[in-house]
Amino acid sequence: MAKRHVIVGGGTAGLNAILAIREHDRGASEISLVSAERPYSRMVLPYYLGRGIAEAHVFTLSPARLAQLNVRTHLGRRAVGLDTAAGKLSLDDGTVVEYDDLLIATGSSAVRPAVPGADGPGVHSFWTLEQARGVVAGIREGTHVVLVGAGFIAFTILNAILALKARLTIVEIAPRILPRMIDETGAQMVEEWLGRHGVEIRAGATLTAIEETQGRRRLRFREGEDLVAGLVIMATGIRPNLEWLNGSGVRVNRGVLVDDHLRSSVENVYAAGDVAEGRDLVTGEPAVHAIEPTAMEHGRVVGANMAGRDVAYRGSLLMNIVEVCHLDIASFGAWDDPAAEAFAAVRPERFAYRKLLWQGDRLTGAMILGRADDIWTTNDVGMLKGLTQAGNGLGPWKAHLARNPFDVKTAFIASGTTGRLLPETLLGRASVPAGFVG
Amino acid sequence: MRCELACSYMQTGTFQPARSVIRVSPFEAHTSYAPYTCTQCAEAWCMTACPVEAISISPVGAKVVLDDLCVGCKLCTIACPFGTIFYKPETRKAFKCDLCGGSPACVGACPTAAIEYVEAETADWLGTFAAERSARHREWQFAGVEAR
Repeated sequence: MAKRHVIVGGGTAGLNAILAIREHDRGASEISLVSAERPYSRMVLPYYLGRGIAEAHVFTLSPARLAQLNVRTHLGRRAVGLDTAAGKLSLDDGTVVEYDDLLIATGSSAVRPAVPGADGPGVHSFWTLEQARGVVAGIREGTHVVLVGAGFIAFTILNAILALKARLTIVEIAPRILPRMIDETGAQMVEEWLGRHGVEIRAGATLTAIEETQGRRRLRFREGEDLVAGLVIMATGIRPNLEWLNGSGVRVNRGVLVDDHLRSSVENVYAAGDVAEGRDLVTGEPAVHAIEPTAMEHGRVVGANMAGRDVAYRGSLLMNIVEVCHLDIASFGAWDDPAAEAFAAVRPERFAYRKLLWQGDRLTGAMILGRADDIWTTNDVGMLKGLTQAGNGLGPWKAHLARNPFDVKTAFIASGTTGRLLPETLLGRASVPAGFVG
Repeated sequence: MRCELACSYMQTGTFQPARSVIRVSPFEAHTSYAPYTCTQCAEAWCMTACPVEAISISPVGAKVVLDDLCVGCKLCTIACPFGTIFYKPETRKAFKCDLCGGSPACVGACPTAAIEYVEAETADWLGTFAAERSARHREWQFAGVEAR
């Protein structure tokens, strides 16, 4: 009998697992996909909000594509229970799906603080396509949008909101913006940059209530004046969707704990993406990296292993990049490690900032800020990722970078980092373009 | 730097080395130069990272950006560890070396035949060269020789 794979979750991790299985087995196995939503790419929702793309552009696995990949689907259905002893998955309509192996890739959900009115009308999250549609419908030219939360997710939709000619105010409970993506110096520079582009920022603001006032929303704070908004977006964090695993016997900490093959505590059950707690490449510790690249890599590794390969995963590299008003902001690895040795430099005339963090002569974290049209920025973004990923000893190039943290390219090339990275592949074989798999 | 001029002209229609996807680095205090570009690596970090399947493989084996699908999210620019996929602010799309469809402009423009277009094993040719030249330069500096 053909092996029965069940993929729970149609996001990036699930999609990549399906593609990797089919790259390996050319259709020999049975694949069932359970997905509460029609599969789409969350990464591109901000471009849909900004009207840069049509809604149709966000979908990933079209019915034709699913047929080509020979995937059975349970779309619009949620997994509600997992019986790992019997190898059975229960869905919310009572359907029971039997499996030989299963991937938990149920992603995460947006969370809102327990503030009165935070669930009221005109208050949105921006995480799912359905939520994005709500925001799209609610913003007009001149709408005053208040974004609650100044983290990565908020920043990914900032350009889109400005492109719609809405007025934007960002409020953040922490004393500064992007607290989990850049340091104090970087945050100050970004605040100054956004100020120049007409974005108002209120940091250190604790929201106490959201009230309805003549069709608009009044936001009250512990200190300072109220804000009146046409639309409120709560970008106040996400948490992994794990509840349905209660009683399954799958070990869960902050996420589903997985080994280096991305297997959970139950041998034929894998986890990938935002729900998985796997190895952090730099620290070696278990971590939940709820980012797109980790979901992709996890998904591909699980797919290969489900298809019978024996692929060990070295770990995921924490990384984020976001562009706001033509300013690139990116950080990699252990960029906020207080124990690391750090070099930092600001070039105010180019609005550029670099911070490099070290353990011995290995780069373990990096932060970069610079104009998107500056050749220095575009050169250094990828190479800083490469240096953090390779973790190779940089020898004399560490001293070189201490003198000039902006000369990343020379250090990257002459330290032989390209040669170090070339064999460091995910699955150890050539990839095929997605459209060619089926 | 003729390769950069030729590349930018071929890729963007303008002579802007800053828009070239082959980039020359100076070594040995600007007495040696090395051009660096995409290795068209087999597993293609940029291609697997793209959330909308906007990177494909061209008939000549280059990983190429499909402009009508790319949304400009920059994920490929942090997925590629070699730093060889870029972003064009004018078009808001990713852009990278596409081997000029099989006839790379940089090769023809190089006056010293330092760039060849041949089938070869992927290797870090440049790293070895740059490391050696840099080490030599450091020795000169230690010996008190003004390396200019």
